[in-house]
Amino acid sequence: MSKELRFLIVDDFSTMRRIVRNLLKESGYADADEAEDGVAALAKLRNSNFDFVVSDINMPNMNGFQLLGEIKKDEKLKHLPVLMVTAEARKEDIVLAAQQGAAGYIVKPFTKATLEDKVNHIITKLGLK
Amino acid sequence: MLQENLVAVAPPASPTTTPPPDVHQQLGILTRQLHDSLNGLGLTEKVKGWAGELPDAKSRLSYIARLTGQAAEKVLNQVDQAKAQHDHIAAETRRIGALIVKDPVAAVAKGHVMNFITDVEQASNKVDGHLTEIMMAQDFHDLTGQVIAKVVNLAATIEEQLVLLLIQTAPPEATVKAPAPHAQYVPALDGPVVSAQDNPDVVTDQSQVDDLLASLGF
Repeated sequence: MSKELRFLIVDDFSTMRRIVRNLLKESGYADADEAEDGVAALAKLRNSNFDFVVSDINMPNMNGFQLLGEIKKDEKLKHLPVLMVTAEARKEDIVLAAQQGAAGYIVKPFTKATLEDKVNHIITKLGLK
Repeated sequence: MLQENLVAVAPPASPTTTPPPDVHQQLGILTRQLHDSLNGLGLTEKVKGWAGELPDAKSRLSYIARLTGQAAEKVLNQVDQAKAQHDHIAAETRRIGALIVKDPVAAVAKGHVMNFITDVEQASNKVDGHLTEIMMAQDFHDLTGQVIAKVVNLAATIEEQLVLLLIQTAPPEATVKAPAPHAQYVPALDGPVVSAQDNPDVVTDQSQVDDLLASLGF
């Protein structure tokens, strides 16, 4: 059942979107779409059904914190787990993400095992499979 | 006022009749004028800011050089290992092919074919691992891209301010166009940590992130 989960990957760097997408596919999660910033992500989330969001923080137009805030404010979206995957390594950013309701936090550069581990952990914790 | 000072330190109109001023003295006067001008224009603090940011820009450029170097090294190592696996499969294919041509029944009966199949499966798994590592090495594009954006922004800011200084100190008859402000996106957040040593406010690896979140009950 978890193989049918739909992911939205949000990052302003297409290279990183592609890496995350390929890693998710290797982990058995082949259904994924992409957005280049928070604004595009929010539009896709409101117009389509997703089960999981993997988001960068440092992005133009709407950053990852703002996107997280918008998702958690939206009655229809607030249940979505949001995994932050970012180069922001300040402790206060990690704490802020947790306080805003992020489901997990990965610092770049990361390994395939780290992403797989965090995604599976969140899916299991939330009973998505 | 400024123009008067500039006139005062300008080379004498007739060097044959007036001895040239002492170069060091002239430099000193110019330096003093620059200092006074910057003060008068309220740019001293900005210049101090640039001076503070330049070492940061140096460490950011070093970070880019280090990351791109590591990525290239990683890719080349992974390619070497993948090619070794590929050479092994190619050699084994030729060997098993010769055994099958010589005696197909014996090749199967003695387990040569089955061993070859197992060998190929293991080798292809290893090659897949190397390809994944090569893909992961491309994350330097994201990390260095963020750092480059910050350095480019610093260079553009200094350029703008220097042109502004030029405009404000130019003679009235000179025509200097103001630069168009650069509108490039500059991340407001910190971005990649280029130098984490002795900085207790940042984490240096994923285990520290996990520990921090665990301490918060996540």
